[in-house]
Amino acid sequence: MAELMMPLRNVFQWVSELPTSIAIRESLFFSPYLTVAHVISMCLFAGLIVMMDLRLLGIGNMSTPFSEVQKRLFPWQMLGMGLSSVTGLTLTYSDPMRFYVNIFFWTKMLVMVLAGINAMAFHYITYNSVVRWDTRSTTPFGARLSGALSILLWAVVIVSGRLIPYNWFQN
Amino acid sequence: MLQGFFEAMGQWPISQAIGASIWIYPLVQAVHLVFLAFFAGGIVIVDLRLLGYGMRSKTIAQVARDARPWMILGFLGLVATGLPQLMQNATREYFSEFFWYKMYLIGFGLIFLVTVRRKITQGAEATAASKVVGLISMAIWTGVTITARLIGLFT
Repeated sequence: MAELMMPLRNVFQWVSELPTSIAIRESLFFSPYLTVAHVISMCLFAGLIVMMDLRLLGIGNMSTPFSEVQKRLFPWQMLGMGLSSVTGLTLTYSDPMRFYVNIFFWTKMLVMVLAGINAMAFHYITYNSVVRWDTRSTTPFGARLSGALSILLWAVVIVSGRLIPYNWFQN
Repeated sequence: MLQGFFEAMGQWPISQAIGASIWIYPLVQAVHLVFLAFFAGGIVIVDLRLLGYGMRSKTIAQVARDARPWMILGFLGLVATGLPQLMQNATREYFSEFFWYKMYLIGFGLIFLVTVRRKITQGAEATAASKVVGLISMAIWTGVTITARLIGLFT
């Protein structure tokens, strides 16, 4: 396993030695500002994802048809995702070796992939039948499952992201 | 007087217990952010509508009524996970300027929420006034989030 991971480790190592990576790492204010911006963009992204998930669960924002919630919130969710990605990638770029050895960082990355798969599965399966349940007060099982999984997975992403500074599992 | 209270709070057995555990405080911090997502979602979905974006086929009042329970749930969760952090860090937070900025902003935000914003969220369509209210609301709660994050980073 350790050998399998070597190329990845080399990439992280290489990035950590780039002049711009070092410059951000050594600047006193850049990474706190990035962290703050990362949290603000998380609010926009996760906040509106949760609002849509509650609609999928059939317990929130029920006066609005699901397709309207999805269509109208989507651009703002994408703005939030874009800003989170830019700030998150820059933070990783600025100190890659700190994240490479961190279990919570990799948990966060893995669970984000799972959340993405969940969103895709919903989009290509359950969403196809949206006309049948768009305005109904109970949503189908597939929609409720996707909504519950989405809230759960993004909560794990947020929690593991916040735990990155606590490196309990490193020597 | 307030300083004495904060120092005493830091000495409470429960505050000491939180400080003695290596994982309670980090987990409470992390769950605080999950509730932040609920609260922020409940605020932003309405503020967007006040600005004339978001779910425009429904009235402002409908969007606001739907979002309210989740906003309240988020806020209560934030308080429930915020207090243990304050108790464990009482003296440090007392001397943190960002902590007090955050508290003043929350106070102002709550007053604004139950007065001006409550009144404007009873309307139907976005107006010039509702847009101003939406922007002020977003600015206040963004300010709360920024000062909150700076407590941990700069004290």
